[in-house]
Amino acid sequence: MQTSALSTENIRKDFPILQRMVRDGKPLVYLDNASTTQKPNQVIDAISDYYKNHNANVHRAVYALAEESTEAYEKTREKISKFLNIKNKEEVIFVRGTTEAINLVAYTWGRQNIKKGDIIVTTEYEHHSNIVPWQLLAKEKGAKLEYIGINDNGELILDHLDSYLETGKVKLVTFSQMSNVLGTISNSEEIIKRCKKAGVKTLVDGAQSVPHMKVDIEKLDCDFFAFSAHKMLGPTGVGVLWVRKEILETMPPFHGGGDMIREVHKYETTWNDLPYKFEAGTPNIADVIGFSAAIDYLSNIGMDAIRQHEIDLTKYALEKMSQVKGITIYGVKDILNRGGVISFNFHDVHPHDVATIIDREGIAVRSGHHCAQVLMERLNVAATNRASFYIYNTKEDVDKLIKSLEKVSELYKL
Amino acid sequence: MSDPLYTEIIIDEARNASNEGTLENPDISQHDSNPMCGDSITLQMNVNDDSISDVKWHGDGCTICKACTSVLTQLIKGKDLGYVRNLKKEEILSELGLEYLLKQSPIRIKCALLSLKALKLGLYTFLGKKIEDSASLNNLKDEASKLY
Ligand SMILES: Cc1ncc(COP(=O)(O)O)c(C=O)c1O
Repeated sequence: MQTSALSTENIRKDFPILQRMVRDGKPLVYLDNASTTQKPNQVIDAISDYYKNHNANVHRAVYALAEESTEAYEKTREKISKFLNIKNKEEVIFVRGTTEAINLVAYTWGRQNIKKGDIIVTTEYEHHSNIVPWQLLAKEKGAKLEYIGINDNGELILDHLDSYLETGKVKLVTFSQMSNVLGTISNSEEIIKRCKKAGVKTLVDGAQSVPHMKVDIEKLDCDFFAFSAHKMLGPTGVGVLWVRKEILETMPPFHGGGDMIREVHKYETTWNDLPYKFEAGTPNIADVIGFSAAIDYLSNIGMDAIRQHEIDLTKYALEKMSQVKGITIYGVKDILNRGGVISFNFHDVHPHDVATIIDREGIAVRSGHHCAQVLMERLNVAATNRASFYIYNTKEDVDKLIKSLEKVSELYKL
Repeated sequence: MSDPLYTEIIIDEARNASNEGTLENPDISQHDSNPMCGDSITLQMNVNDDSISDVKWHGDGCTICKACTSVLTQLIKGKDLGYVRNLKKEEILSELGLEYLLKQSPIRIKCALLSLKALKLGLYTFLGKKIEDSASLNNLKDEASKLY
């Protein structure tokens, strides 16, 4: 047995929910981390401490509490910048999540820059949040939305990108750094390099990558980057949009209101500095502060150790799962090019039935289309089951999963 | 190994479902789906002399959905419209021993009753074209929307 890259035993103690039982006394085996992760005490306590001791609106008043809350809120921005190697912290905009981040880009930069006949390129393995906003924009502007296809191994076909770029009409290429269904890690640096050469802007959806591997935005060299706190131990309702400063300076505001203005007169308004121009209204202060504790937690373990832990676990799971009767596993075989997300199906068994049967053993996996119906069509399935891992999952969790999957094979005589 | 929901009877009923297929030019064709789990079926019927002369269904569904749809089609084939429009959910569920879902599983009950919902909505549209008395028709629609 390989030794684990991190101490799951100690980590699990920090997560109260992992101590609870479900379905008549079965310990919870939580394997739906690609959807959202559980929260450690450190995050829960940071939010509670904020409300108990520091609660006040940010960026407005001068009294002690207001100063404390503003400082804690702004410190998170600094922390994120360090965590992802971002040079200018004013490029970090707090939003509700990845979905809002992408919509913000579509509504502001997109509306200003996309014209009739232009092409926006996305991929076949995108989450709906990286498809629908672009469909809306393309419809409004008379632009075209095109897809980089995937091969049978679940990898992007970069030749498709090249042929779109050759048309000279592409304005934006938008793609996820890691697929939430197949776990494929995109060849992001290569895609961005080719786009740069063609003078095309790039948006990277980091919802699945930032929680699970080291991401260096400076090195990545994209133009827009989006991710969500709740998929990396943080609270729901917080996410980040990063935009390269030269672009951010040219973007019109998204929402109008308080905090985003410098001066408001009856018929004219001037905008606040970056990033506040894009953070209208009272922000989600408590959860931003909770997010700060989540980043501390991950940084203390180290993103390289987290990645190694998930490689070990995924390798173990793939080996064991492939021996279950009647199972089909989707996606990349090379463990170094995939994250800890495993999508699978059983012969003629609907994923919903699989999820119900294994739920009786306390095992939580997702069944459905995973907000990726374009990919489901490509795979020619209506839905899949998906198990996804995080820092607190163990080989014992995988063993329990396998045992419950064997029950499915037995019940259906596969 | 056994499971209270996934009994051999239910799995067999779903695997060898009755009346799976498509009707040419049906009098009634009603599609419905559950967005949450992705069950998606079309129920088709022909009506002759005020009774269901033929019924077929097709689509993609889970075991619970398919098993219940199969039972529903068996129950209504050849029956007169008076019986069919008053078909109760308990009649279908009891055939498969699934009444307990009504109380215990607000999620899976949607799979079990999708075809009944399609049946009620299909009848509503069909009878609406023949200008039936509108109060009892609205009852039918109301019933469909309150099934689960
Ligand atoms: C790849 C990817 N992009 C975007 C999203 C949307 O994130 P959120 O729901 O936090 O806005 C998700 C989460 O489901 C995701 O996995």
